[in-house]
Amino acid sequence: MVTREDVENIALLSKLFVPEDELDGLTKSMQEIIDFADAINNAPSSDVGFDNINNLSNVFREDEVVPSYPVAEILKNAPEQAEDHFLVRNRE
Amino acid sequence: MGSIAKIHEMLVKKEISCTELTKSYLDEIEKSNGTLNAYVCVTGDEALKTAAAVDKKIAAGEEIGLLEGVPMTLKDNMSTKGIDTTCCSKILTGYKPIYDATVWEVLKAQNAVMLGKTNMDEFAMGSSCENSCFGGAMNPFNENHVAGGSSGGVASAVGGNIAAYGLGSDTGGSIRQPASFCGVVGLKPTYGAVSRYGLIAYASSLDQIGPITKSVEDASIVFDAIAKQDKRDSTSLGAVGGETYSKLNNDIKGMKIGIAREYLDGVRDDVKEAVLAAAKVYESLGAEIVYFDLPVLKFALPVYYIIACAEASSNLGRYDGIRYGYKTAHYTGTHDMICRTRSEGFGEEVKRRILLGTYVLSAGYYDAYYKKATDLRGTIIKAFNDAFEHCDVILAPTVPMTAFEKGHATSDPVETYLTDICTVPVNIAGLPGVSIPCGFNANGMPIGMQLIGKSFGEAQILNAAYRYQQAAPEQFKDTKWGVKL
Repeated sequence: MVTREDVENIALLSKLFVPEDELDGLTKSMQEIIDFADAINNAPSSDVGFDNINNLSNVFREDEVVPSYPVAEILKNAPEQAEDHFLVRNRE
Repeated sequence: MGSIAKIHEMLVKKEISCTELTKSYLDEIEKSNGTLNAYVCVTGDEALKTAAAVDKKIAAGEEIGLLEGVPMTLKDNMSTKGIDTTCCSKILTGYKPIYDATVWEVLKAQNAVMLGKTNMDEFAMGSSCENSCFGGAMNPFNENHVAGGSSGGVASAVGGNIAAYGLGSDTGGSIRQPASFCGVVGLKPTYGAVSRYGLIAYASSLDQIGPITKSVEDASIVFDAIAKQDKRDSTSLGAVGGETYSKLNNDIKGMKIGIAREYLDGVRDDVKEAVLAAAKVYESLGAEIVYFDLPVLKFALPVYYIIACAEASSNLGRYDGIRYGYKTAHYTGTHDMICRTRSEGFGEEVKRRILLGTYVLSAGYYDAYYKKATDLRGTIIKAFNDAFEHCDVILAPTVPMTAFEKGHATSDPVETYLTDICTVPVNIAGLPGVSIPCGFNANGMPIGMQLIGKSFGEAQILNAAYRYQQAAPEQFKDTKWGVKL
C-alpha cells in the first residue's frame, strides 16, 4: 500500500518537490504501478541469479595519466562559475 | 538496393554532388519538419561543410567509403561536441557537450553528414515520443498518429525521407517500437556490441545504441560501422559475432524459427495475422516454424520497469543545476535550489520513474522489488538460452498494436507501459532484435515484426530479415515525404 507519506518520503530522497495538490493523484498512480509490479511476487523462486549480461569480469588497466578536458570548456556549461570552479550559492 | 548503397553509387558516379544531395535533404526538412516534428535541432552549416569535404575528395578522384557523404541523424541523447544535446528535457536546456559520443566519433571520422538531432521522449522514457519537451514527432504514414517512442524523431525522419538513416537508442524497445510504427527497420544490437560512451544514460544495464533505416542492408552497414570495442565503455565488446553485411542473403533452408505462444497473447488480431503470414513466407523459403512456450515472459514487463526505473533514479541524480543545464531562478538554499531545479526541469513521466525507482531501491522494498526483479532477470535469460536450444531465431510481433493517434498514450501510465510488452524481454536478456515491416492494418498503418537472435547473433537475424525483405518487398512501402532517391 503506497501512502501519501511514502510519496513525500521518496520525493525527499529523490530531491523532488511534489505540490500538495498533486500528492493524491501521484499516490494513486504510484499505487497502480506498484500493483502492476507486484506481479513478480507470483513468480516461482529460482536460484539462477544474475550478475551482468555478458558475464564480464573487471577490466584492469595501467593507471596512466592522460590529458583531461580543459576546465574552461567544462565550465562553459555551468549555470554559474567563479575562479575556475562551479559556483554553488547558499542563497540566490 | 538500400538507400546507403544507392547514395554511394550516385555520389561515386557523380550523378549528384554531396552538397546538392545535402541541400535537398535540408530543403525537405524545412518543408516537412513543421508537420513531422522529427528534428529538434538542424545543423545545416556543419552538414554542408562535411558535404563540401566529400565533394572535394570525389573531385580529386579519391575513393570514398560507403557511409561517406550519406545524410543522417542522431537521437538527441547522443553527445555531439558543441551541438545542443538535450534529451528533449528542459533540464538540459542549452547543454553543449564538450566531447562526442563514440558512435558519432566513429561516423564523423567517415564523413557522415549529420543533418541534425532528432526528437525523443524525455530521457528516452516513453512509447509515443509525446513526453518530449518539444512536443512529439509524428508518423510519416499519417501525421495524426504518433511516430512511437522513444526514438520517434529518428523513425519519423527516416520514414519521412528527411534522413537516409539514423541512430536511436533502445532501453525497452525505443528503437524497434518507433521503427515498427513508422514502417522502417530498427536494430537493437546485443548489449555490449556498441559503445554507450557519450549516450546520456537512462538505464545503463539495458541501454544500447542501434540503427534505424529504410532497409535491412542499411541496418547491416551501419551496425558493422558502429559495433566496436571501446575502452571508454567497459561493458563494450564490439562485434563479437563478426561483421554482418557480407552474410546477407545466406540460405535459410532448414533454419528453425521459433514462435513463443506468449508473445501472441493480447496482441491485436491484425498484428497477429501479419506476423503469422510472415511465418508462412519463411516456410516458403525453407525455414521450419517451431512453436514453444516461454511462460516467464509474463513477468518481463514488471521486471523491466523495476530495473529501468531503479537505474534511472540513480543515473538522473546528476541533474542538480550546478554543472550544466537548467537552474531554477529563485531559491532559499542549496537543497531548495536542487529540488526546485529538478522539479521544474524534469517532466511528469521522468519524475514518476525517478520516484518509482527510488521506491523500489529504498529500505524495506529493495528485496521485494529490485532484488526479486534482478533474480527474475537471470531466470528470463536462462529461459531464452533454453529456447535457443530448439530454434535459431525467435519471431514475434514488435508491438501488440499499430501507431496510436496523438494524445492517446498519455492518459494511463500502466496501459502505456503495456505497449512495451513484446520489446522489453530482449533488453532484459541483452539479446539482439531487429524490427522489420510485415504488413499494414485496415487504415494503412504499418505493422512490424521482430526477429530475436542469440547473443551476438546479429548476422543471423539480419540475414533472416533480409531474406524476408527480398521475398515480401511490398511490405517496405515508401511515404509521400522527403527526398526521393
